[in-house]
Amino acid sequence: MLLRVENVHKSFGALEVLRGVELSVDKGDVVAILGPSGSGKTTLLRCVNFLERADEGILTFDGERFDLARMSKRDAARLRKKTAFVFQSYNLFLNKTALENVTEGLITGRRIPKGSAVDAARRALDKVGMLDRADHYPSQLSGGQQQRTAIARAIAAQPEIVYFDEPTSALDPELTGEVLSVMRQLAEEGMTMLVVTHELGFARTVSSQVVFMEGGVVVEAGPSRQIFEAPRQARTRAFLQTDQA
Amino acid sequence: MDSRLLDILVDSFPKILIPGLTVTLPLTAIAFSIAMVIAVAAALAQFARVPVITQICRLYIWIFRGTPLLVQLFVVFFGMPKIGITIAPFPAAVIVFSLNEGAYCAETVRAALESVPSGQLEAGLCAGLSYLQTMRRIILPQAMRTAFPPLSNSLIAMVKDTSLAANITVVEMLRATEQINARVYEPLALYIEVGLIYLLFSTVLTWLQRVGEKRLGAYENRGV
Ligand SMILES: Nc1ncnc2c1ncn2[C@@H]1O[C@H](COP(=O)(O)OP(=O)(O)OP(=O)(O)O)[C@@H](O)[C@H]1O
Ligand SMILES: [Mg+2]
Repeated sequence: MLLRVENVHKSFGALEVLRGVELSVDKGDVVAILGPSGSGKTTLLRCVNFLERADEGILTFDGERFDLARMSKRDAARLRKKTAFVFQSYNLFLNKTALENVTEGLITGRRIPKGSAVDAARRALDKVGMLDRADHYPSQLSGGQQQRTAIARAIAAQPEIVYFDEPTSALDPELTGEVLSVMRQLAEEGMTMLVVTHELGFARTVSSQVVFMEGGVVVEAGPSRQIFEAPRQARTRAFLQTDQA
Repeated sequence: MDSRLLDILVDSFPKILIPGLTVTLPLTAIAFSIAMVIAVAAALAQFARVPVITQICRLYIWIFRGTPLLVQLFVVFFGMPKIGITIAPFPAAVIVFSLNEGAYCAETVRAALESVPSGQLEAGLCAGLSYLQTMRRIILPQAMRTAFPPLSNSLIAMVKDTSLAANITVVEMLRATEQINARVYEPLALYIEVGLIYLLFSTVLTWLQRVGEKRLGAYENRGV
């Protein structure tokens, strides 16, 4: 097992957003997190990558155990170097070109020599089909191109897992396809991915595991085939039906 | 225009311009550079909410923005000797202009830092940069791009404000003009003349601001 979280709790003021979430990801798994709006999916990912401090919870990463509520800055920084995050709104560095967006984390963050960082960045950009736009700034790229660049930035350092938070929901339908196909390709290459998504087609065909969340808890989790074909919980069934209609 | 007046203007021109080049501009350049260091440091400390230092910065900004520049000059130059601290006119002016300008520019830079989308910091952390690395490489450059026009404004205003240093015996352009006027008594012509030289300085700086904005703006231009 690569990643496991247990008993994650998080409140914003009086609003209890996560109420004891549990979830695990094996190496090579593509885990899709589904659930209605407001169920706490984004908050969970943000807690797992320490962008939000959980009130309670245990994280096990690569055999190391951490208390999410008492994570030190040093441990957070160390784990972040083994992971990557793809945001709904891309969040490319606006003052950097596509290539620099990818090299920044390698050169500044991981102290990789410039030459090999640029090589790795160009390979990553090539993989997402953005090599010909390497010198463009984010403002000169379409949403789909920005998100593919963000994926290149995420994979360039060969992370052990990539977290995606609704990577296509800010995109027009035509641009969604190009991003999903890049993600599908990553999945085929064995990249471990934890993906919050509303794209049920993607979850059904690409993910190996599905986690269905509602009201801050995991309602049901299992192999994606089983969840889609024979969901055990009524809530899951209702969600999959209304969403597909 | 009678020829006596013309002679006075021609004769006084270098006598005003030279203090402009040797006093007004260096005073502006030195004080503004120090002010930038203060401004960026104070803005970053507040942005990162460093305890104690944030409160000290707030107090400093409150005092220097809330009192007249001329009063600050008088306190330092005429007041401080009372407690045994005597400072020569030019350094006194440098100190006051730096602190005063630093207080205003700190607010400009802080606002610019806060205008950078929070996703930029999160993306930096997730890409494996430390907080400080993200500030230095991502947030601060974007903030300085935003702050550039208002900071240029402050710089241009400062060139003119240095004329207040005349009040603490710094012989900058205005005081040099006053000295000439005391001899020849042509206040209208001479003060218009010095005004035009200030206008010339401001115009050059405005032009430099445009060039600077073009360069910094590279990443914002659509197209290519
Ligand atoms: N920083 C915050 N402060 C206060 N409330 C927050 C904050 N972040 C999220 N919330 C609230 O927590 C709840 C869960 O939000 P979250 O973004 O995790 O949901 P989600 O499952 O990702 O929803 P969506 O599918 O719409 O993205 C929502 O009610 C939201 O308003
Ligand atoms: Mg969300």
